[in-house]
Amino acid sequence: MILPKFEYKKAKSVAEAVAFYHDHKGRARYLAGGTDLIPLIKLRLSTPTAVIDLKDIEELKAVSRNNGGWLTVGANVTLFNLKNDPVVREYFPALYESLDATSCETLQMRGTIGGNILQDTRCLLYNKSLEWRIARGFCYKMGGATCNVVPNAKACFSNYCSDNAPSLITLSAQVKLVGPRGERTVELEKIFSGDGRSPFSVEPGEILTEILIPLKKTQGAYEKLRVRDSMDYPLAGVAVSVKGAAGRACIGGIGLAPRLYDLKNINEITIKEASDRIYADAKPVSNTVLSAIYRKRMAGALLKKAIRRVLKEGWK
Amino acid sequence: MKTIRVNIQVNNEKNVLQVRPYETLLETLRERLNLTGAKEACSMGACGACTVVVNGIPVRSCIVLTAEVDGAVITTVEGLKENGELHPLQEAFMEKGAVQCGFCTSGMIMTAKALLDRKKRPTKKEIVKTISSNICRCTGYKKIVEAVEEAGKKMA
Repeated sequence: MILPKFEYKKAKSVAEAVAFYHDHKGRARYLAGGTDLIPLIKLRLSTPTAVIDLKDIEELKAVSRNNGGWLTVGANVTLFNLKNDPVVREYFPALYESLDATSCETLQMRGTIGGNILQDTRCLLYNKSLEWRIARGFCYKMGGATCNVVPNAKACFSNYCSDNAPSLITLSAQVKLVGPRGERTVELEKIFSGDGRSPFSVEPGEILTEILIPLKKTQGAYEKLRVRDSMDYPLAGVAVSVKGAAGRACIGGIGLAPRLYDLKNINEITIKEASDRIYADAKPVSNTVLSAIYRKRMAGALLKKAIRRVLKEGWK
Repeated sequence: MKTIRVNIQVNNEKNVLQVRPYETLLETLRERLNLTGAKEACSMGACGACTVVVNGIPVRSCIVLTAEVDGAVITTVEGLKENGELHPLQEAFMEKGAVQCGFCTSGMIMTAKALLDRKKRPTKKEIVKTISSNICRCTGYKKIVEAVEEAGKKMA
């Protein structure tokens, strides 16, 4: 498939990238690994006038331990390199497992953690060629006035398919965003807008530069539902991170944003309660290759499975 | 639209090219350099048929812009042969019969090459994990994994 015309700019610093963005009056897109963006452009789902390559920005490539008790991960660190970082393996097992479960090895070597977090939401009736979409009619996410999955719906039901955002949220991660109006650091769970047309509350021109994770040892697990184990986006994914008797669980792959749950006093009763709550809250629709009701049931089951694995009880 | 000048070393040959900013590496390899070993299949970075090795890392050339790899050292399946002798992976793929229609083969070989270059004698589990990045819809992978194991032994 041939790409449409756009300009290409290679930025050497974050400030330069923001300046390029300004030059293109907001019609440019930032490019890191390109594993999400280039297919979107090929399908004409994104039509930038320019692509600004962030890959050569050195300051975004490092993983470092700060004195303040944070692990700082540059947004350009590839999923593969982050997975093989000894600190991640030792301190953040949920993140290790979700990185390992992301796509396949070759794409892990190309895709970056920043890009993985800011990937566009997906839908079986959205990620299609232009010809297909014209024949079907444009939905909300393409700028139309309807949803092609749920008749008469007033909103978009596309799914947020990052494996790593849920596990980072269970680890209380924060992200640093740098843009034309300065920089800000926010909790990761706060960057989701809840609107399928632009799923992130990221200002135009802002670049995700760093992910900050509190450097505290956790136990954790990530459970993912997919058709092919070797690749595929999550059809539901549950991350659990535990410190002592309390922890956090987060579910992704269903709906526009990951959903966070606090787990207090983990025992058989609270596990059952949390699983029932995730089941009740999950509202998948028929926009993936598996049925909505199956994904809904699996949401609760994946949580139980993840917690039991963390507690080393095995799968009952 | 203005073209971009890129320097890329492909299979030990230096190339200075003027490419379109929206040109993929796969287009450059196939259409400018006539290296048609890397195949276009899904065109979305999902299947791996277009895999080439860029600076030691397997890369899906259909979703990488040529402008992104300026200055890189690239190996395609055509560059594996040395002094007229086939690469152990190519030999092993033939010996084990790891090819049916052949469309995925060059991508499989390049993904496996990157693995064998970074790891001597990988375990079967590691091979399966790496090779599962690429889609083959005819052989069922068994012979492909056997071929990579065989090549790993020869190269160790």
